[in-house]
Amino acid sequence: MKRSSRVALLLLPSAAVVLMLLLPMLRLVAEGWGESFYESFFTVWQDDFLKWRLLWSFTQAVLTCVLAFIFGLPVAWVLARFEFPGRQLILRLLMLPFVVPTLVAALGVLALWGPQGVFSQALGIDLQDTPWLLLYGNLFFNLCLVIRAGVDALGQVNAHCVAASRSLGATPWRAFWRVEWPVIAPWLTSSLCLVFLYCFSGFGLALVLGGQRYATVEVEIYTLVAYELKLAQASSLALWMLVLTGLVALAYAYVEKRLSVATRSQPIALRFPKTALHWLAVFGSLAVLFFFCAAPILAIVWRALLADSQAWAALLDVETLQALWNTLRFSAAALFIATVLGVAHALGTQGSVAWRAAAYLPLIASPVTVAFGLLLLYPDWTASLALLIAAYAVLAYPFVAKAMATGLGSLPDNLNQVARTLGASPARTFWRVTLPLLSPALRRGMAFAAATALGEFAVTLFLSRPEWTTLTTLIYQRLGKPGAVNLDTAMLLACLLMLLSALVFVVIDSPQKTSDSKTIG
Amino acid sequence: MLELKNISKRFENRFLADKLSLNVSRGEIVALLGASGAGKSTLLKIVAGLEEADAGQVFFDQQDISRLPPEKRHFALMFQDFALFPHLNVLDNVAFGLIEQKLSKKTAREQALVMLARFNLATHAADNVTTLSGGEQQRVALARALITQPKVLLLDEPFSALDAELRQSLRDEFKQHITNMGIATILVTHDELEARAMANRCVRLSAGQLTAVL
Repeated sequence: MKRSSRVALLLLPSAAVVLMLLLPMLRLVAEGWGESFYESFFTVWQDDFLKWRLLWSFTQAVLTCVLAFIFGLPVAWVLARFEFPGRQLILRLLMLPFVVPTLVAALGVLALWGPQGVFSQALGIDLQDTPWLLLYGNLFFNLCLVIRAGVDALGQVNAHCVAASRSLGATPWRAFWRVEWPVIAPWLTSSLCLVFLYCFSGFGLALVLGGQRYATVEVEIYTLVAYELKLAQASSLALWMLVLTGLVALAYAYVEKRLSVATRSQPIALRFPKTALHWLAVFGSLAVLFFFCAAPILAIVWRALLADSQAWAALLDVETLQALWNTLRFSAAALFIATVLGVAHALGTQGSVAWRAAAYLPLIASPVTVAFGLLLLYPDWTASLALLIAAYAVLAYPFVAKAMATGLGSLPDNLNQVARTLGASPARTFWRVTLPLLSPALRRGMAFAAATALGEFAVTLFLSRPEWTTLTTLIYQRLGKPGAVNLDTAMLLACLLMLLSALVFVVIDSPQKTSDSKTIG
Repeated sequence: MLELKNISKRFENRFLADKLSLNVSRGEIVALLGASGAGKSTLLKIVAGLEEADAGQVFFDQQDISRLPPEKRHFALMFQDFALFPHLNVLDNVAFGLIEQKLSKKTAREQALVMLARFNLATHAADNVTTLSGGEQQRVALARALITQPKVLLLDEPFSALDAELRQSLRDEFKQHITNMGIATILVTHDELEARAMANRCVRLSAGQLTAVL
């Protein structure tokens, strides 16, 4: 593709990112900018409460990284090295947390460990007002991310190199450290950077599970803006968030750049577990996955099934139906825009690692910071549906861009070149060759984008009007009301949202049956 | 007649082509020999219009086609990995170029089936291309290239992925088809025996210059 065409394609996503992400952030920084740099930047440190919020946000993100590494690496190793019944299904199910909306996950944790929770009642443990609820919620989302990265990384280890090291006298353990570890370390670092960013800038989990003491900076920014109207303090906190997330994002981009160099390797063959130790490793891994990733989802379903009849009746309320309709129409509109932006971004950034990495900006930006910035930058548009949907689309489009970019990277150049020499114009080549081959990647990206839009919470809370209530905000409203019926209704709504996300994911991502299809996913 | 005039192309401060010229007549097969990285494939892509030369022109029948996009040159290119479209079956791979020439799908498929029959591949028409053997894939690629009756055929190491026995039999089959259709052909190869077996004339590309191989 010509350079001019690429630049033209990039204009649209670039404009969206600048208008909906970068300018709002800059506006936010300007809002909090005081008399001097010192005043603007270090106000936070003079307030013990805000200092604690910032330090705790950082600490919980680091702790989650450590725990995800400790639990994730052994599970990834087992999944990457052993073949056992159900392994493929487990690898597929590792995607599940990415489809589950944050608020649903938070409810899952409460259904397990909250008051009347399944585990808390069975074990007699009360985790309310402890940091463990938030850490557990963080692990629900992020453990799968680390495991998937680990499995992919271990698949990159060259069997011939391991065999060579063994023949040169290395024990299996030494071979792991000297041959396998150097290959997988950058992948794990990359995934841990993402885990840090997700946890540090996480909002929904911290809002529901953090309580008064263990809420994070994002929750504090929301409180300062929505309830206390202390914009300067909120801006100062947001400035720190920007700096810290920016630094980690840079580290992430650096590692990703190193990983973008394609390598060919002979993968290590999977083997069946034979010894008792092997089986112990397999069942131990399954137990870890059940405890952290499956249990919260099952707990929501369990609580929903046991819900009071009044709660079930609430599913047919006008309020619920309106929220469902809003969720669907906002998500559909956002998905359409996100797809256009994502495809344009991927096509426009072919061959440029830096530009490709720029697609991650909306992923690592804190939604609360962005929403706050949007409020400040476009005060006349705060009650505008267009702004809300545009914000949804910008937060969702990286999934499409990333999936398409990966697919394009795997597409051999010569297929397009042959099509051109057979008489197809660039547009026809895209339509007849590129698009059909990339359709699985596109559908996968769209499925994630749809799941993101369906479960969006932070931006909706900031920019939405009462009549635009979505399922996530309705769940939050129910959680804020006293009584078992409201909690049951919240659980049922969470179940509905989870089903909706899963349904959308299956519909968009399921392979289309064609007689002659072989495509790049 | 295909004519390359003073073509120059640099890559990383190295001349892949340095004011080189080459003529290929209708029905003639010219073998382009050279070491790996000498620039043979790049030269082929310049002829096909997939890469731009830094300087020089490509003429066909005295018309300067240097700025013509690849789809308007009516030259067919075959890669060493065949580059068959994995999402299309054998028949639709062969019909691809005809559909781009605005033929209806039905007519294109009918003509493609006739072409496949000439290559003894009619029974594989509905097959997925990935299920074919290397030799069958190679013949599908040639059928796809020839069905549009290209003015020039560009072959980029077309036999390198095949075993020795199959290579020998396909060489003869390819030469027969190409000669029958009277197409100007450039065959890129690093195998001198193959070049001599197929081509009317051999040239070697080295340090950006072409020299005749006797």
